[in-house]
Amino acid sequence: MTMANSATARGNTTMARRTAADRPRGRPRGSTSRWVYVGLAAASVLALTPILWAVSTSLKPESLVINADPTWIPTNLTFENYRIVLNESMFPRYVLNTFLVAVAAVLFTLVCALPAAYAASRLPFRGQRAMLFCILTTTMIPGIAILVPTYYLAVTTGLYDTFVILVIVYAAWQVPSSVWVLRGFVDSVPVDIEEAARIDGCSRIGAFLRVLMPILRPGIGGAFILAFVNIWNDFLIASTMVSTDERRLVSVGLYQYLSDTGVIWGQLTAAVVVTLLPIIVLFTVLSRYLTAGLAAGATKG
Amino acid sequence: MGGARGAPVPQRTAVGQTPDAPDPRDDQRRPSASRPAAQRRWRSSSAPLSIGLTAPVLVLVALVSVVPIVYATRLSLFETQFMNIGEFIGLDNFRQALGTSAARADILRTLVYVSVSLVVAVPLGLALALMLNLPFRFRAAFRAVIFLPWVVSQTVAALLWKWLLNPDYGPLPLGSFDPFADSVMAMGALILANVWISYPLAAMLFLAALQTVPGELLEAAEVDGAGKLRRLVSVILPTIKSTVLIVTIMLTLFFFNMVTLVYTLTAGGPHSATQTLSLQAFRESFQFFHLGLGAAYSIVLFGFNILFGAAYVRVLRSEK
Repeated sequence: MTMANSATARGNTTMARRTAADRPRGRPRGSTSRWVYVGLAAASVLALTPILWAVSTSLKPESLVINADPTWIPTNLTFENYRIVLNESMFPRYVLNTFLVAVAAVLFTLVCALPAAYAASRLPFRGQRAMLFCILTTTMIPGIAILVPTYYLAVTTGLYDTFVILVIVYAAWQVPSSVWVLRGFVDSVPVDIEEAARIDGCSRIGAFLRVLMPILRPGIGGAFILAFVNIWNDFLIASTMVSTDERRLVSVGLYQYLSDTGVIWGQLTAAVVVTLLPIIVLFTVLSRYLTAGLAAGATKG
Repeated sequence: MGGARGAPVPQRTAVGQTPDAPDPRDDQRRPSASRPAAQRRWRSSSAPLSIGLTAPVLVLVALVSVVPIVYATRLSLFETQFMNIGEFIGLDNFRQALGTSAARADILRTLVYVSVSLVVAVPLGLALALMLNLPFRFRAAFRAVIFLPWVVSQTVAALLWKWLLNPDYGPLPLGSFDPFADSVMAMGALILANVWISYPLAAMLFLAALQTVPGELLEAAEVDGAGKLRRLVSVILPTIKSTVLIVTIMLTLFFFNMVTLVYTLTAGGPHSATQTLSLQAFRESFQFFHLGLGAAYSIVLFGFNILFGAAYVRVLRSEK
């Protein structure tokens, strides 16, 4: 309303435009917004139902889980399933393993990808586009195609069943898209800022570290979470490269549990919730970087 | 290498002839003394340094992607017995992976799985992004909730949906009808779970792209009397067209290559009703240890990826 008033004050011609422009802001209180809320509520239900059902199951005693007449809200709550998962199973170890491997792999990815992204954006040369295109094309290679050869590679280098091979393979898997995202970010930073720093006596690496890196923080955050989620959720590589229980990663642990005979759903869903929590926390903390990272990396052709 | 910075062109070339100059730390050793030439330096031929900075990525990708795919291609042309590579058999493995009626059924199922998932996930992602881009209350909360399935792994998604759709103890009124025992419903459930984990990424990418649509353009269109649908078709979609294509490419590759979800949710059943190429590649290699045949399946899969990837890239190019 205030805006409409101020528009009137500016005279007739502006008013016509103003009211039109105002409409999207003014109208959501009306019928349109109700449909938007309905749509969003439906989507939220779709997104949450499977997760909430698991949470509900994880809080039930086994007698309520195996019940032909299931209820959403447990009639008597128990944390017994969580106690068993946290104290008597290997899941905390699996979660820790996955966390360590994922962090190491993402850091390795970024250490490799950042200089490459910088070069791609700031140091052009003939044939660079083709080179970058080739790097990106490797993302078309199906993971399943390179699994057996990578297994051979791991065995022949003696790295089979170690975290090192996991970190290397994960980094190689994530590096192309990280370069892509980070290059978008470096592109969006005006070159003048670095030039100014260098005229002021900064070396190229000094300008990179002290001037460019702080500006790139959202991009690095975005690339971090993208790579982290992919690695955290991997099953194939983890199940191929590692066999010892102490070094098992969480998705393999879950699958192992499922394929064992006689699934205790209460415990399994408790384990699922335990594995979901860390990644949900990370996602919530870093989600604003995520949108920025995606905007820089993926909206460019 | 110390003075390479100062005089641009000739010494750059000298640096370039040192083949092992990939280390970014090179820069530290270089004095930052020669300020006046800074701008010229910036534009001078930068190939050696550029390649040097890219070298770690190149090594990594070559070692873990290029060498293995070459090896897999070789493997697909040989007879294998467990871990031993036997005789060269040419395209025999491919004859089995492409020529038999079972193989053709696999391919057909894969195409159904990929295309139906795409047809649902892409419009759903776009619709959600359009809604989430509007100003309304609790927007951040809605975004967080709606994007949540993105962080759920394929293994966990399979567990969650398996348990939700459980005919005996699940909360849905299925009347002890087991969707995983029916060939059509099993594929439906698989696609549902697949869409569930993949629409958030599509929505996030679309949302990021929607924020680049100039507000003035939308206002101008509205002043000119364009309705909502008209604005979507004539203003919004053309602006985010490249993102739509990128999302479609990403999801297509993701769906074609998907093993974990299929393996953990249906394991290809009932009676291979949800058997896809990627699952077949996985099982031939890791369950039956037919490494050559498994490699052949995965090369076929790679072929599909290239085919679709290249087609999209062509569309992208011609539209520009």
